[in-house]
Amino acid sequence: MSRFTKFVIIILLICAPLPLFALSADEIVREVDRRSTFATSHATGTIIVTDRFGERVSTFEAWAKGSDKSLIEFTSLAERGQKILRVSQNLYLYYPEADQLIRLQGAALRQSVLGSDLSYEDMTKEKSTLDAYRATLEGTEAIDGFDCYRITLTAKSRKEAYPVQHLWIDTQDFVIRKAIYATETGRELKEMQLLSTMHVGDVLIAQKSKLIDLLKRNSHTTMHIEQLEINMDLADSLFSLENLSW
Amino acid sequence: MIRLALRNTLRNRRRSLLCALAIAVSVMAIILLLALLDSMEDDMRHTLTTYYTGDVRVRHDQYTHYERYAPLHLNLETERAQAIIGTVSKVVASAPRITFPSSLHVGDRNRPVQAVGVDFIQERHFIDFDHILTEGALPDPGSHQVVLGLGLAKTLGLGVGDRLTLLAKTAMHGTNAISFTVSGLIAPPVGMLVANGLYLNLSSAQRLLMMDTKATDIVIKAQRATDLQLLAHTIEDALHQGGIEGQASAFMDINELYGFLATAKLIYWIIALIFFILGSTVIINTTMMVVYERMAEIGMMKAMGMSDRRTSSLFMLEGFFISAAGAAIGLAIGIVLTFILSKVGLDFTEALSGIEMEISSILRPQVDLVTAVLVALFGMVIATLSTLIPSRRAAKIQIVEALHYV
Repeated sequence: MSRFTKFVIIILLICAPLPLFALSADEIVREVDRRSTFATSHATGTIIVTDRFGERVSTFEAWAKGSDKSLIEFTSLAERGQKILRVSQNLYLYYPEADQLIRLQGAALRQSVLGSDLSYEDMTKEKSTLDAYRATLEGTEAIDGFDCYRITLTAKSRKEAYPVQHLWIDTQDFVIRKAIYATETGRELKEMQLLSTMHVGDVLIAQKSKLIDLLKRNSHTTMHIEQLEINMDLADSLFSLENLSW
Repeated sequence: MIRLALRNTLRNRRRSLLCALAIAVSVMAIILLLALLDSMEDDMRHTLTTYYTGDVRVRHDQYTHYERYAPLHLNLETERAQAIIGTVSKVVASAPRITFPSSLHVGDRNRPVQAVGVDFIQERHFIDFDHILTEGALPDPGSHQVVLGLGLAKTLGLGVGDRLTLLAKTAMHGTNAISFTVSGLIAPPVGMLVANGLYLNLSSAQRLLMMDTKATDIVIKAQRATDLQLLAHTIEDALHQGGIEGQASAFMDINELYGFLATAKLIYWIIALIFFILGSTVIINTTMMVVYERMAEIGMMKAMGMSDRRTSSLFMLEGFFISAAGAAIGLAIGIVLTFILSKVGLDFTEALSGIEMEISSILRPQVDLVTAVLVALFGMVIATLSTLIPSRRAAKIQIVEALHYV
């Protein structure tokens, strides 16, 4: 074997494994979506809202089927019996003492949930991130000691709540450790910080995260999932308007 | 001298009348404008104290600072607060209210409204609901019923007996919604309330907003001729001594527009001065013309011994008679027109539609004789003083110069 041939073989052996680790931005985002979407799920948790008037805690129980059907029922005293049903892009509110369901649409979706930094619009996320955004891999960066891919998402249309998103995605577990939501011109609107994670099956998910409204002083919302079960049987009727009124 | 001046004034009646009319128009216009402003002030006072603030309003002392966030959690224990307020002298009555932004839903339609939770029994000292009710009845005590402004009901196609749902942010910072039945329709004299007004039982509002027995406002009615700002201080002190963090404000300190009306009146007196000066230019011009016309006569009078001072006084007197006549005519017409308008009313419904102003749609200017006479006197004085210029000119005429005109 000539010296040149040996050299080529060595180079090929070194380079061969590299394509396995060189993920594209789209692949990274798809992996994040895959790991955060379950066939079905049932969770209980708390939302802690902090603003200029102090702190308040709300508790909830939530069911989801895929990424476009979810039902949240509030169990804390101030909101007892209130429910939010999401089916695709439609959002319905149920209040025990109201005759009718309140359907939120248009500008009403931008209202905040329980006075938190989370809006109803935030709850109507697309099935697939790549359907609504173009992804660009900016590089890698460490967040809280974890290596992360730095991804920029740019909205494909003007109807998205956040025209630009900057995500820091854990290179090992594909959980979003940090996110910044911004306008087209780059003005930062909200920041999400991952505070803790939990294992569910063979994936790591966000257990506690903090959403900070960058446009307000001292305003943030902490969401904490206390219990989560996945892939159990959930009837479609659970996500129906008829069931909402019961 | 007086008879001479009067006779000279009547020598050319048409010209004198024309000069007088210039003053008359100015006097009449200012009387009408001030009457309108007075009626706006009275109307706004009535509207504010009836529908919005009472003579004095009490709130949590942080509420106004955060008002843009509708901070329902900054509220008052109504029973305790009203008990303390009742001990203050010059207080006739008080009533609790909760004013809150909400979203009114009927089927798929929704509309933002400013709803007000009231105790309809205690409100009889403030809003005469029976008088403004056009259809149906007031909500039954303790029931989930509402009365709607007639315009709001028409916009949403609602009538008595129909159901609607109110969605609002609560005092616990969440949201809540309750469905209500429309029990009646009202037509208050304020356009804004007709188009967007919604009143419900205080107990229903407290349940919707999770406020127990609390309220955001307590409105207070005072005895007549009470110094409201002093009363507000007294009430505030009494509340603080009773351990309640309340802030009491007299209505004129709450509403900026009302304060502006008082300033506007002052501005109108300045406008009046400008009007009268402009009207006086007619007299100045005419008197100057008369001086040149009567040059020979002036020369003759001076040759016969009339002093410069008496010559000047003669022309000033002539100016005074014309001004007085003009002021009198303007005063008479102004009073008559104001009286007619007070009966007919000025309808600003179209002009005020869509504008949030605490004022009735129909204004009735009120005749204030004292103000009208003052305006007339003011006009007369300004016009008379303005004849100083041609009068001094007449006084300076030399006999030799005047005799050239013989």
